Amino acid sequence: MVRLVTHNLLACHAKDCNTNNFPLVFQNVQLEIREAEFNSDFIRNFLPKIEWNALVKTAYELGDTSLPQDQPEMVDDEFLKNLHHVLFEIHIIEGGMVCPNCKHNYPISDGIPNMLLAEHEIA
Amino acid sequence: MKACYLIAFAQSHSDFRLPELQSISEIHGFQIHLPKDPDTSRPFMVVELDEEEHAFILAQRCILIKSIYEFYARGTTYEEVHEMNRSNRHLWERYVPDTSFKFIVTGFNHTIPQRRQRDVIESFAYMDFRGKIDMKNPEITMVCFEEYESRPAPANGPPRKRCEDDGGFKEVFFGRLIVEGTARQLVGVFDVKKRAYFGNTSMEAEISLLMANQTLASPGKWIYDPFMGTGSMAYPTAHFGAVVFGSDIDGRQMRGKGKPPGVIRAATQYGIASRIIDLCTFDVTNNPWRCGELFDAIVTDPPYGVRAGAKRLGRKRELSEDKKALYLQHSQNPRSDDQPYIPPTKPYELSNLAGDLVLLARYLLRPGGRLVFFLPTVTDEYQEVDIHTMMCEGMEVIANSLQDFGSWGRRLITIRKIATQKFSPPSFQHVEEDAMDTHVPAHRDFREKYFQGFSRGQCNGDQAGTVST
Repeated sequence: MVRLVTHNLLACHAKDCNTNNFPLVFQNVQLEIREAEFNSDFIRNFLPKIEWNALVKTAYELGDTSLPQDQPEMVDDEFLKNLHHVLFEIHIIEGGMVCPNCKHNYPISDGIPNMLLAEHEIA
Repeated sequence: MKACYLIAFAQSHSDFRLPELQSISEIHGFQIHLPKDPDTSRPFMVVELDEEEHAFILAQRCILIKSIYEFYARGTTYEEVHEMNRSNRHLWERYVPDTSFKFIVTGFNHTIPQRRQRDVIESFAYMDFRGKIDMKNPEITMVCFEEYESRPAPANGPPRKRCEDDGGFKEVFFGRLIVEGTARQLVGVFDVKKRAYFGNTSMEAEISLLMANQTLASPGKWIYDPFMGTGSMAYPTAHFGAVVFGSDIDGRQMRGKGKPPGVIRAATQYGIASRIIDLCTFDVTNNPWRCGELFDAIVTDPPYGVRAGAKRLGRKRELSEDKKALYLQHSQNPRSDDQPYIPPTKPYELSNLAGDLVLLARYLLRPGGRLVFFLPTVTDEYQEVDIHTMMCEGMEVIANSLQDFGSWGRRLITIRKIATQKFSPPSFQHVEEDAMDTHVPAHRDFREKYFQGFSRGQCNGDQAGTVST
């Protein structure tokens, strides 16, 4: 159940793959929507850590257009609710995440991504 | 109003009592005024609290608290107890006219004969309580504890007589029951045997609850376990309201057999599945975190080699050039009938792992965040300085509690990130250093020492091995 909050924090970490290695691109995904408890403090704390463009782009690719292109300066309840939905309630159950740079495919099965590197990819 | 309270602790994990009290008071933002030289090996402790409400909070959350009392008196003789109790008359005066009550006299490490229990109760007659005695639903319960030293029965010879040394107590405590601890029942709730999914490395419920309290888990917190395994630490932390992220180099531990993954099944059983943010397979020494300062706490029981050894990506021995070329060809063009590619791993030595874990925590924790983990050590060789071999600038040890198994033990280490500046991720590179000029901690090569039965001492192997690693 890779959630977009996780996706927003993971970059390709293969050896010498240092630029254009984020965000990973979802491929052949199978989605599921599951409700999660809303905690506005948690989201507010987390907000500064988000790469906004990557989040919006990925949400659009997955068919969710509830977030504005630019991160709003004013944070209201409706915005937090939408953000909560995008970050925590969209789950990717199967598929893969592909590095835009080195094309490493990190497969997802049963909601658990395999981020292990191959022998030639570790430092 | 500031007042004294008597805490009666459960008879286990005495070294963990103080850190737990301090953690829970920190979560709720209040002070506990401890005695000058607290002796945590004793089952009773008198502390000062600013509000009675704080006693309720402690009793609700501390796994090691059995009950809390309004403190009236203590003494090594009953004369001392009565004298102090008389001088504290203002504390209990309001119960004199018309409050139903129950009076209990009980011993710790000892059974007091009924006849003397009655004598003790009668010696408090000067309090002159006029309310009725109600053994079922009293408005207040007064308790008098006699604390005795532990006196194990002699190995050979007749067992001790029941009433031997009656009255030879170390100290007496007297007070009014305020609240029974309710957190201890969680030990039963999280019992590993009743869990939908567990493995041979699962951590016992009581210890994992104590660890969760050390992380200051509460709603709004984000906690990470980099050696997730079967998720033992995740369940109690999530139960206390935090959300959890888990990773492990071996996804099979988190998945188990069947669907959904085992960790999710167990979390569903506890009603906290939505608080497991995600599970992820990766080697923590080759991790994909995009940035640091993400988590409020890192809690983990790193594998230390008895049940399961720690692994990291790489090879024990470098491949020859020919083999490397062959391997590369294979990994890029796997034959279609091949299983998914599984990269090679090599052992991860414990003292290296511990040092890396502290550096990783410094990178991934928010300022003020905590790292809570178990470190096994050889009892005879352990020295205070062992902990310092893994420390780095910006991190501070705030608790170090021993769980003693005889020839070895494990220490629950709690470290706080005191620095506020940003740190870069650790390199995870280790050079074989010269052992001559650096201190070698007792946990170095713990696995080898364990399987040699700690041969430096005269320890016997049967004490070891009963606890999961």
